[in-house]
Amino acid sequence: MNVDVQTVVEVAAYVGGGLAMGFGAVGAAIGEGYTAARANLAISRNPDISGDIFKNMLVGQAVAESASIFALVIAILLLFVDVPVPSVLKAAALLAAGLSMGFGAIGSGVGSGYPGGEACFGIAKQPQIASQLTTNMLIGSAVCQTPAIFSMVVALMLMFIDFGAAPLQPTWAAYLGAGLSMGLAAIGSGYGGGLAAGASCEGISRQPKTAASVTTIMLVGQAVSQTPSIFGLLVSFILMFKSFPESTALSAAMALLAAGICMGFGGIGPGIGNGMAAEGAVRWVARNVEHAGDLMRIMLVGQAVSQSTAIYAMVVSLVLIFVV
Amino acid sequence: MGELGKLHQLIIPFWGYNITLNLEVMVMTWIVFMVLIILGLFASRKREILPRPIQTLGELIVSMLYGLTEDALGKKLANTYGPLVCALFMFLLLSNWLGIIPHLEEPTKDLNTTLGLGVMGFIIAHYAGIKSKGFKAYISEYFQPIFFMMPLNLIGELAKIVSISFRLFGNIMGGSIIILVVSYLTYSVALPPFLYAFFGLFVGTIQAFVFTMLTIVYISVQVK
Repeated sequence: MNVDVQTVVEVAAYVGGGLAMGFGAVGAAIGEGYTAARANLAISRNPDISGDIFKNMLVGQAVAESASIFALVIAILLLFVDVPVPSVLKAAALLAAGLSMGFGAIGSGVGSGYPGGEACFGIAKQPQIASQLTTNMLIGSAVCQTPAIFSMVVALMLMFIDFGAAPLQPTWAAYLGAGLSMGLAAIGSGYGGGLAAGASCEGISRQPKTAASVTTIMLVGQAVSQTPSIFGLLVSFILMFKSFPESTALSAAMALLAAGICMGFGGIGPGIGNGMAAEGAVRWVARNVEHAGDLMRIMLVGQAVSQSTAIYAMVVSLVLIFVV
Repeated sequence: MGELGKLHQLIIPFWGYNITLNLEVMVMTWIVFMVLIILGLFASRKREILPRPIQTLGELIVSMLYGLTEDALGKKLANTYGPLVCALFMFLLLSNWLGIIPHLEEPTKDLNTTLGLGVMGFIIAHYAGIKSKGFKAYISEYFQPIFFMMPLNLIGELAKIVSISFRLFGNIMGGSIIILVVSYLTYSVALPPFLYAFFGLFVGTIQAFVFTMLTIVYISVQVK
């Protein structure tokens, strides 16, 4: 079979588009389902305000869906992308773009379902603060989307930046590694951010007076939960923009691919763990606001310890890139 | 599409090294400085018991940020670090909002700005830690829980700079790349204003707040 470069680029773009939308569809659907489940529970508790709860559910689901919409945009772009100078390298970049966006949308989609669900349930408990809960839900879910936005940025960069005449070996592996690093690392952070946001909506509905402290600690907790995805972003930037010397040895290419996989998988657990730490802190700040300062400090120390595994993964990735 | 990933740089050769200046970023940073200085002058000139609108605005911002600092650091340290926190937040907020004005760009879109601010926060936090605990107690913290954890504790501290600066940089640069690509694809019809509102105003505000809060919190972790 005779395969020319144009075909390779097209194949990579189609496979990338399929992966982006296929994986991208997973997360948001789960998150939206959770929101709907909590909304049902809320309406059965307080049927009088079912209209408000229904409205809030739809708004929450719309925000939770944005991760999937990012994936849809990238998938459509990949299907119709017009490559001016086809090369095997560009094919690797397009495939990596699809991987980055597809994996990256999973965590944020699942995570941003939590604030929506908890806000619906909170409205059933405290109908008079419905608008406050909706605002907090919107802030929480929007911050949840950050890892998905990072993945989309990496995907767009891989698709549209002209990387010039980089040597095919081992740069193709660097691009694939960049996509995997960002995409996989975004899973944990997106989910963890959602846990914190959900707890904050629940906390505000329990103690509306603590709303300011709860929102503040939610933002800090989410920001720290995002750290693993930021390490993923850092590794994928290095893999994209560092110029690697040409080498036909397979080991050089595999080291770069492994660097991306290492950071990607290494970021999943710490993201979720940090989210759990933030969830606990946010939940208990709502119940015990006098000790918010202590709770925040313990949360940060706990998150720093649970993040150390992400730091090990980053160290190993950087060693693979720069030393091996 | 060609402007994606391009920078306007002035490269000065100097004794065999190249000094690189990102001109656009410098100009934009100075614009933010100017706006802040003018705002500060107008807000604090002719202070009265019955404040005029701009004085109210200034008092609102300052008292809100002082309150946040006091919650985390206590009254005494809040007097020391409050002005820093106010300046940092207002600089970041205006920087992140600058991109919604045509032809202007966010200085925080450049990694040098955010990394500089991150390093600044790191140094201040550690200075505060040494000052409050004493040098010996500060150093011994790195050898917790066992002495051979020292390199990992050190990397953990340095990773804080990476995470705080890349968080801001990634959000702002990501927003501007998404806006650029979408504007190109839709020929700037309909969608871009909403994206500017979301990424410029909303995400910009949240990220400025998060950066400021994390700087305060890093100080408080070192002090306590």
